[in-house]
Amino acid sequence: MPSPRSAVGWLLIKEWRELMASRAWWILLALIGPLVGLSFVGAVRTYAEISAGAGAGCGIVCDPLIGIWGPTFGAYELAAVFFLPFVAIRVVSGDRQSGALKLELQRPLAMAARVGAKVAVVLGGWLVTYGAGLVAVALWRSYGGSVSGPELLVIAVGHTLNGALTIALAVAIASMTEHPATAAIVTLAVTIGTWIVDFEAAVHGGVWEQVAAYTPAAMVAQFQHALLQVNVTAIAIALAAGSMAVAGVWLQMGAPVARRLMQSAGVLAATAALVAAAALLPGYWDASETRRNSLPEPAREVLEHLPAPLTIEVHLAAQDARRLELERVALAKLRRALPSVKIVYTSRTSTGLYEQADPGYGEIWYSLGGKRAMSRIITEEGVLETIFDLAGVSPAEESEGAFAGHPLVSEPRGAAPLFYGAWPVAVGGAFWFVTRRLV
Amino acid sequence: MPRAEFDAPLLIRVSGVTKSYGRLVALADVSFSIRPGEVLGLIGPNGAGKTTLFECLAGVLSRDSGVVTLDGRPLTARDLHAHLFYVPDGIAPWPAESVRWALEYVTGFFGGSTDRIEDVTRQLDLAAVLDGSIGTLSKGQRKRVALAVGMLTPQRVLLVDEPFDGLDLRQGRDAAAALRAHAATGRTLVLSIHQIADAARVCDRFVLLSGGRVKGEGGTAELAALAASRGQAPASHDLEEVFLALT
Repeated sequence: MPSPRSAVGWLLIKEWRELMASRAWWILLALIGPLVGLSFVGAVRTYAEISAGAGAGCGIVCDPLIGIWGPTFGAYELAAVFFLPFVAIRVVSGDRQSGALKLELQRPLAMAARVGAKVAVVLGGWLVTYGAGLVAVALWRSYGGSVSGPELLVIAVGHTLNGALTIALAVAIASMTEHPATAAIVTLAVTIGTWIVDFEAAVHGGVWEQVAAYTPAAMVAQFQHALLQVNVTAIAIALAAGSMAVAGVWLQMGAPVARRLMQSAGVLAATAALVAAAALLPGYWDASETRRNSLPEPAREVLEHLPAPLTIEVHLAAQDARRLELERVALAKLRRALPSVKIVYTSRTSTGLYEQADPGYGEIWYSLGGKRAMSRIITEEGVLETIFDLAGVSPAEESEGAFAGHPLVSEPRGAAPLFYGAWPVAVGGAFWFVTRRLV
Repeated sequence: MPRAEFDAPLLIRVSGVTKSYGRLVALADVSFSIRPGEVLGLIGPNGAGKTTLFECLAGVLSRDSGVVTLDGRPLTARDLHAHLFYVPDGIAPWPAESVRWALEYVTGFFGGSTDRIEDVTRQLDLAAVLDGSIGTLSKGQRKRVALAVGMLTPQRVLLVDEPFDGLDLRQGRDAAAALRAHAATGRTLVLSIHQIADAARVCDRFVLLSGGRVKGEGGTAELAALAASRGQAPASHDLEEVFLALT
């Protein structure tokens, strides 16, 4: 009598059981608690100090998004770099080394289903680790802290996308390499490669800066600020899909290497085209309670109706702190509100140290419909004021009041025993229970 | 011992299969046929290319050239998987799983019949290890699990690499009996065996492989005649003597 369950159903169950039997995943699960706890405990203490110092009406200084959730969920970024790839590598390398892969590949089945099952199951395992983050949220609420659902949702989406990308990449590399140790080294090399891109962007700017906007670290940073950009999300999905396709190509053990290389080149070209197209997608969701990623609504309305294209020429070096601040507090928001704006950075050196005395260094030139204006102000208000003066318009007053802040002076009660003691013990108990039930 | 009908229609024809690793030629123009319902022994010394040939046939290793046809029709990789199932030597698949679950999984995943699990378990004497994890089994037990995996798959042709390797005398005989019984259900078996005595015990016909080349194909009598025609007449019609004469 044939089994009523489909082959894909069996594969998913098998992959899940393999994950449950994987010590790598249990170690990830055991360590994520103390990692999240360490960040959370430190964040709560720092938040309490700031709240006590600033008092009521402390405004954006007392924003849990930055003060609590940024550092707390930052633990997941670390785990995605240092632990998750090994869990993903194991699901491919384990099958390869035990001989299971040779058996399973003899069942006619779409490669998308095979790779998809592995990625889906490891991603499911990654989602289970969010339990530690949920414990932190519950503790924060129990202290009387403010919790914004949309902010946490966007943070979770960001770490899920980052996890999916990490898993897909690790699975692809494990499919291309014979041994798990090789796969681990190559995966870490790719991660370090993205760090080098970030470093080059910070030092030299230019093209590096454009590329660095889409590295996993930059992507996670945006989501950590409760900003969900359509293009960043689409690029992450395209890269994950491309990695899965490469994995599918290299799992065809019976195909000649030359053919697999050709197919991989095709997949990479298609992925590059998708990424390029995705980069142009407009739209974003600023889920932050403080609207820290957006310009005020009245300003955005005025910007949408500017009479001519706006060009901004910034004479600041890549490593100049003013340029970083200008980009962060004003120009990044301006780009989202006014995608047609053209921003040009000009400098003779990367540090700017020896350009300070140059005539024109530090100047920011605005051009709109033949009119030009210069300013050195790098605040959001200063940039908007210059643009509006140039356009001869003035936005309406913002109707919403300023963010009052959520000050909270509290000790992280119960967090240390929970994260450093109960969590690892519970994970250990679950490991014992689950692995006993498996066999 | 039941014997397959040798004049049965040709099932699978392997023609001109070649495989090289750099300058090392692992398989050179290998050709032979597999007939329906027979137990074909692929025999040869270690390093003869038996495993490479099986992996090329099963589509888990690319071949440089050659074609596999089914009743005259070339088979694609997907077709191969629909008709052939290959059990590699020295595997311990799904090591964390119990034997019981692995057999259920194999049956479900490959589309076999769950009714056969009990029979196969009994034939291969696996009842005592059903609840043990595969990773903790002895070499012989793992081999029997691997045989069970192959016997539970539904493809018409089963290729098993070294089915008796790691089995003691009694286990080897039991496994041979199980494989013969399995072939009697209508399945075609191709067994790669380096111990000639084992091959003689279980196979209907033989393909002699040495140095990546086919040295002969047929029953013992046919192979003895072939050796004689090459001026290498064996001392007796014992398969070992025939093998030595031809290689």
